[in-house]
Amino acid sequence: MSKPVIQIKNLEKVYEGAVPVHAVNGINLTITEGEFTALKGPSGCGKTTLLNLLGGLDKPTSGSIEIGGVDITTLSENQLIDFRLRNIGFVFQAYNLIPVLSAQENVSFIMLLQDRPKEEREARAQQLLEAVGLKGKEGQRPGQLSGGQQQRVAVARALASKPQFVLADEPTANLDSTSTANLLDIMEKLNKEEGMTFVFATHDDRVIKKARRIISIEDGKVLSDE
Amino acid sequence: MIFKVAWRNIWRSKVRSFIVIGSIAVGIWAGLLIIGFSFGMNNERTASAIGTTIGHAQIHSTAFDAEPLSGAVLGDDVAVTKLREEVERLPFVAGTAQRTVLQGMINSAKSARAVRIMGVWPKDERAQTTLPMTLVDGDFFESAGRNRLVIGEKLANRLGLKLRSKVVLTFQDAEGTLSRASFRVSGIYKTLNATWDEFHLYVHHKDLEQTLGAPLVHEVLVRFDETVDTDEKTVELASVLPNGMSLKSWKQVNPELGFADDMMAIMLVLVLGIIMMALLFGIINNMLMAILERRRELGMLMAVGMNKRKLFLMILLETLMLGCVGGPIGIVLGDLSTRIMMRIGIDLTSKKEGLAELGVQSIIYPEIVPEYYIIIAIMVVTTALIASILPAVRALKLNPVEAIRGQ
Repeated sequence: MSKPVIQIKNLEKVYEGAVPVHAVNGINLTITEGEFTALKGPSGCGKTTLLNLLGGLDKPTSGSIEIGGVDITTLSENQLIDFRLRNIGFVFQAYNLIPVLSAQENVSFIMLLQDRPKEEREARAQQLLEAVGLKGKEGQRPGQLSGGQQQRVAVARALASKPQFVLADEPTANLDSTSTANLLDIMEKLNKEEGMTFVFATHDDRVIKKARRIISIEDGKVLSDE
Repeated sequence: MIFKVAWRNIWRSKVRSFIVIGSIAVGIWAGLLIIGFSFGMNNERTASAIGTTIGHAQIHSTAFDAEPLSGAVLGDDVAVTKLREEVERLPFVAGTAQRTVLQGMINSAKSARAVRIMGVWPKDERAQTTLPMTLVDGDFFESAGRNRLVIGEKLANRLGLKLRSKVVLTFQDAEGTLSRASFRVSGIYKTLNATWDEFHLYVHHKDLEQTLGAPLVHEVLVRFDETVDTDEKTVELASVLPNGMSLKSWKQVNPELGFADDMMAIMLVLVLGIIMMALLFGIINNMLMAILERRRELGMLMAVGMNKRKLFLMILLETLMLGCVGGPIGIVLGDLSTRIMMRIGIDLTSKKEGLAELGVQSIIYPEIVPEYYIIIAIMVVTTALIASILPAVRALKLNPVEAIRGQ
């Protein structure tokens, strides 16, 4: 049996205001190693909030999130930054690459933040770019790459830090169908061959079809878990 | 790689970076020109005063310092000669000249004025001062004759005197008795210091001796080899003086000059400080704009695990690099401009009269002051460091989730 990577217990996130909004409302979940999971639901259902909480980018109102045995809700801001660096890979909707760095440098940069030696950084960056089908594009900057290629660099960057899992927030939202198919094939391959855990927040059917576990969220609650 | 990212980041908005770098360069260029101009003007004024009239230091009797009476002499001929020999043995002393200094009155047919009468040994005066070279009419005791007088042009004009005009000088002898003697104007001088010209006149010591009955030496002017480390040299010189004698540096003889010299350094640092303040706001504005434009990217960096120390370092490096590009450009431009001005001079003929009152020529030749290049370099780096604080703090306060969403 696969070991759990993420364990969520009674997680709540309430945005205070004139009318308090329960973006995440008592969610309990366990995500195990090697899963390829999609969090689906309409806009505003709370899936991105849940993803941000899982990634330690936001603090829950109550409940706990254990990642590899560490309850990240108890960590300080600085501890969280370091935890994210060493345990979580991120893929964003808008790629968010550093425009002044080449594809290879973008991938290496995360490893630099981890203080890894230069040789290791360069070798792993090349290996990852090859894995996402960007061999020969290492020296190109984001502005010289298509949207699909940029998102593949972002995937390589997410994997560069050797995280426990990768969180992807609407990774295909800005991609055409060919690029989406390519990206999903690559992520599926990395999931199967390297056992990397992927958690997507999406309402893209193409992603949902590929996912092996689909968690439907509505009004901050888990509606179904298939 | 953070260094590389910072360097490339400053070229993301080339126009904006060029404007900031340009403003830093222009600010420093202007600062260096002001420094060169101020030093040129002040040094010329100082050199002129030292060279033509006061020397680097003056030796008097302590009694003369207390009250400059005719009887407060340095000693007899033998004592003064011994003193001069002792002083001239010091390696940094280029020469000495002795003078009789009397407070007195000058009467012309038109008017009368209080003056300081300088009884000089012309050969010494010619060797140790440039006053004889400032003559606009007549000569400096070269022609034959008795009771000759060399007077400043400004005083001559006030008294309505020309060459060969007759005047009467009134002064006290060693016993305090008032004496009078007639003199004829044999030379008219004009130094850069109009105030000096208006108050000092020169006579041959022998002509004074006839009235005074004996040679009176009140002052020994000392000229150093060069006008550097004069404070240290003055201290060393003071140590060889016998009791009853005092030494005044050029700064003490002419406190206004000394004050201007000391104050100038402070004023120039203040001027540079003001320039740096202006640059500070320019750099802060530029960096705040850059942070605003890169919110999403900075949010991403924080999300993926860039800690605050590294984020701060990156922004600090970017700011520092702007200064490190603009600074040297400004220094090179300032240096080149000053060197050109050193050759051609800055012509302020339209302000000639006012400048003459200050003891300065109408054409100013700026000077290169290398120490200020180091001061400017330190100030630019400090300004850049200070300028980085606010943008860096703003960046550190970003909420990664909101920044990534572009909120």
